[in-house]
Amino acid sequence: MKKLIFFILFSSLITSLALARSTGCKEGNCENGYGKWVYTDKTTYEGEWVATKKHGQGTETWPNGYIYKGEFKESQWSGIGILFFPDGSTYEGEWANGFMNGKGTFTWSDGKQKTGIWKNGSFQE
Amino acid sequence: MEVSKNSFKTLSEPVKQFGGLVGIIFLIFLTFFVLNNIFGEGDELVAKMKIEEERIAEERKLNKLISSLPSGVLVSFDGTDNFKLSDELYEAVCKATKLIPQRAIMGANFLNFRAHEIYTINGNKIDETFVKWDDEKNKCFAGFVVSGNNVGVDETVKVSGEALSFLSTGIDTRVYFIKNF
Repeated sequence: MKKLIFFILFSSLITSLALARSTGCKEGNCENGYGKWVYTDKTTYEGEWVATKKHGQGTETWPNGYIYKGEFKESQWSGIGILFFPDGSTYEGEWANGFMNGKGTFTWSDGKQKTGIWKNGSFQE
Repeated sequence: MEVSKNSFKTLSEPVKQFGGLVGIIFLIFLTFFVLNNIFGEGDELVAKMKIEEERIAEERKLNKLISSLPSGVLVSFDGTDNFKLSDELYEAVCKATKLIPQRAIMGANFLNFRAHEIYTINGNKIDETFVKWDDEKNKCFAGFVVSGNNVGVDETVKVSGEALSFLSTGIDTRVYFIKNF
């Protein structure tokens, strides 16, 4: 019984250490400067950091296929950027507070396009 | 009456025992017949059991299929390095999938600001998720429902779209991309 408890505790310790090593700041400076951060769900951010927040130019890659390349402000997608959807669709244009806000072009994977003003992710007709 | 009693007495012992056995069996059948009529559901129960058996068989078939798929991202569209599902596999994976992870929900929320707001305000809580195969459109649809109080107003928002990619963990499959645009 003691051996089993020891084995469980030892396994938990090894797992925690392995997980801790595979996440967090993997390269560079993730406080002030340029660095790469890996999240527990395998989302990665590589780019500029200011005061431990994503700020400036960077690329965020989600494990399910979303890729955002562009400007970040206070860790949010803000400024000019391009979002690649998993199926090949893209939105290129202005962002604010993590949403399509401002002028931008949405291109579907079949090539169809829609350009105009966007507000909180919705196209303004 | 007296004659029949006498004729019974004249019967040999094995014949009497056999008659008794037949009588008991008949009594047991009669008892179960009466009890079944009173408490049993008869044909309805049999029909339910058949449906359940078919469901279990279908689930086993789907589980076998899921375990045979490669671990990783399974997609139903062209142009990626991920495992491309055939039409048949796409339908089977859709029917076997129950889970929608957080990243898929966050991705679908890009195009639904109200859902994103409620989702964030309520600590990423999801009321309900669903994955279903549409026989008419021959497509897999997935979605979720978020509800909560947003600036004093109780709101419920349903987000749904085509489920175009799945994550295969080797044990189960999860919806990985909901295209709601």
